Amino acid sequence: MTDKDRLREMPFHLSRRQIISGMASAAMLTGGPVRNAFGQAAPKRVPITEGDVAPLPIAIPNFVAGTPADAEVGVGVAQVITNNLKRSGLFAPIDQAAYIEKITNIDAAPQFQSWKAINAQALVSGRMTKQGDGRLKAEFRLWDVATAQQLTGQQYFTSPEYWRRIAHIISDQIYERLTGEKGYFDSRVVFVDETGPKERRIKRLALMDQDGFNVRYLTRGSDLVLTPRFSPSTQEITYMEFGQGDPRVYLLNIETGQREIVGNFPGMSFSPRFSPDGQRVIMSLQQGGNSNLFVMDLRSKSTTRLTDTPAIDTSPSYAPDGTRLCFESDRGGKPQIYVMPATGGPAQRISFGDGSYSTPVWSPRGDYIAFTKQGSGQFSIGIMKPDGSGERILTSGFHNEGPTYAPNGRVLMFFRDPGGNGGPSLFTVDISGRNEQRVPTPGFASDPAWSPLLS
Amino acid sequence: MKVDKTLVASVALHVLVIGWGLLTFSSKAYEVMPEDSVPVDVISDDQLAKVAAGMKSGNKENPKPLVEKIAEAKPVEDAVGKITEKAPVVTDTSPPPQPKPVEKPVEKKPDPPKPVAEQKPKEEPKPIEKKPEPSVDPIAEALKKDEKKPPPKPEAKAAPPPQPVKPKERPYDQSKIAALLDKRDPSREAVAGEALNSNAALGLAKGKATDNSATWGALFQSQVERCWKKPYGGIEAQNPEAAFAIRLKRDGTLEAMPVPEGTPATPYLRVYQESALRAIIEWQPYNLPAAYFDEWKYFAPVFTERKT
Repeated sequence: MTDKDRLREMPFHLSRRQIISGMASAAMLTGGPVRNAFGQAAPKRVPITEGDVAPLPIAIPNFVAGTPADAEVGVGVAQVITNNLKRSGLFAPIDQAAYIEKITNIDAAPQFQSWKAINAQALVSGRMTKQGDGRLKAEFRLWDVATAQQLTGQQYFTSPEYWRRIAHIISDQIYERLTGEKGYFDSRVVFVDETGPKERRIKRLALMDQDGFNVRYLTRGSDLVLTPRFSPSTQEITYMEFGQGDPRVYLLNIETGQREIVGNFPGMSFSPRFSPDGQRVIMSLQQGGNSNLFVMDLRSKSTTRLTDTPAIDTSPSYAPDGTRLCFESDRGGKPQIYVMPATGGPAQRISFGDGSYSTPVWSPRGDYIAFTKQGSGQFSIGIMKPDGSGERILTSGFHNEGPTYAPNGRVLMFFRDPGGNGGPSLFTVDISGRNEQRVPTPGFASDPAWSPLLS
Repeated sequence: MKVDKTLVASVALHVLVIGWGLLTFSSKAYEVMPEDSVPVDVISDDQLAKVAAGMKSGNKENPKPLVEKIAEAKPVEDAVGKITEKAPVVTDTSPPPQPKPVEKPVEKKPDPPKPVAEQKPKEEPKPIEKKPEPSVDPIAEALKKDEKKPPPKPEAKAAPPPQPVKPKERPYDQSKIAALLDKRDPSREAVAGEALNSNAALGLAKGKATDNSATWGALFQSQVERCWKKPYGGIEAQNPEAAFAIRLKRDGTLEAMPVPEGTPATPYLRVYQESALRAIIEWQPYNLPAAYFDEWKYFAPVFTERKT
């Protein structure tokens, strides 16, 4: 076949194809009824786009008592789970008074009709049994009422005094199965507990479960303490204390109570934070009139300077992958948020709104940076993407400050000082801005930091 | 008699000024364009219901529009906005999606056999009138949104139409037909209802209730949406989608468990799919027009965040 022939043939093929496709489209255009005659090849698709992002109705009856002595802990566990799920804003636990069926055996299927009747979409059944060796066994099952299926079920063994942690772990399982997100209930919060009259506040480091229970004091309050932060390994906290002389950064082991100074630096050191791998602590050191960021390796104790500007660079926070960090700097005039490679290098400003930005914190999911914004007499907590876009304010008020992320990156805790003779309190808010809740603390509280998941 | 000169002068000047003003500032009266009068007939709710109800003996395959002539339709709805077409336009037959231009000329002719699709460009690809569509009457047409016999392609078309329509429709559920009809082509007017027409229409199953959700697709959607508790996707929702193939019985209950399409790739997608499944199961029995049972006995609801 000569080239010419081939050439001649090609367009011919193409054009035939074109004709066919043209005819096909023409047929489709006009042949609606004709096609229908062939019957439905695939079912007709009907789009459904509007639903209610409403809390999921869930029923959590008291956990069955494996032995008569376990009744109390069964009630306690159900209450902790109910409280956790309700405070997350994503679940609507149904009042136990409305339940029709009383579950006595969790190994048998529940009567789903009776749960459907009270509009429960999910059901939790569980059992607590004290074992012969003194341990406590906890079992639970999560049911989908509409499809009458078990979604998940687990059993745990623990010492009886840790029953609350089991309840938190079960809450996390339920949360994860029903929202697709990792939970955050099995975690703790370290904060600065404040007591006493306003002019002579006693500030102590305190540690509690994220729901406000099990409060424990870590320092005696003789010195001023600030900005406690958790280590990713969860057993150590780094914080600032104004001891004799300049403030210093300390490392405190929660379990042993041992305390050590993170390096010895002339001058003041501020806002210490761990790196994601827990091996380094980054902080800002003041030298002369300005402060710069320094990283110290905890094992070798060697320090590296990261910024070198005649400005105040402070409040650093690592990205969860450890490659970048964000910090607050006033090198441009007002405090703004900058992002920089973790090893140092040029810093890029990402905050451009109206006002000054401070205390940036990188989300554990890496998707947002939370910050405190101050402008026009208001303090706001907001989030923005690491490139500076998508800024949104979650809450505004007289004095909101110091956001910290829950381990799943979905909830922020911060403190708010209403001014006057009162004192600050802790609040949580969802990153969508909804569901602002107060966190109960024994006295006033400020400067919270959320631990990673304990399990 | 002594006449005060100044008085005379004053009067004269006044007359001058006023006269000048009168002349200058007078303008032509606005002319009113002669408007075509539109025959309007007010009917009661009852009559409307009757119209929509149709007759059992109706012939489903009814190519001819119901009432041809009586034309000058009664715009059944009272508060309908522009009913500018006087010409009874019979819409019938599946209009090719394209033909907007085609419609225009046609519209003026009250020619029943001529397929006329609504002019309204938006969402009307609905073939509102498919031949088999029994209703010739505008209300029924208007009430049921295409989706019916599907122009196959209208798969795509049908999808978007219900889409845009949805937001508008739902809030008006139970409310005036007017709102509905406003969006429909006014041209539909013709073919007035009850009278004359030997070709009875089957009407809507819920004719008497004159439900305002137009097609069964919209009905299903509005019902299942009431039950659907979407999982919280956070602010960066990842455009999730969950589709099922469902089979319904005549009474609106599920014949079997809905069959999900595809397996969810992430935990969030699984939760999304489960929430949709729960919604489908919970709302049964569905209240859908029996007349279109053949269409809704097997279809695929697609739960999605994508608002195309």
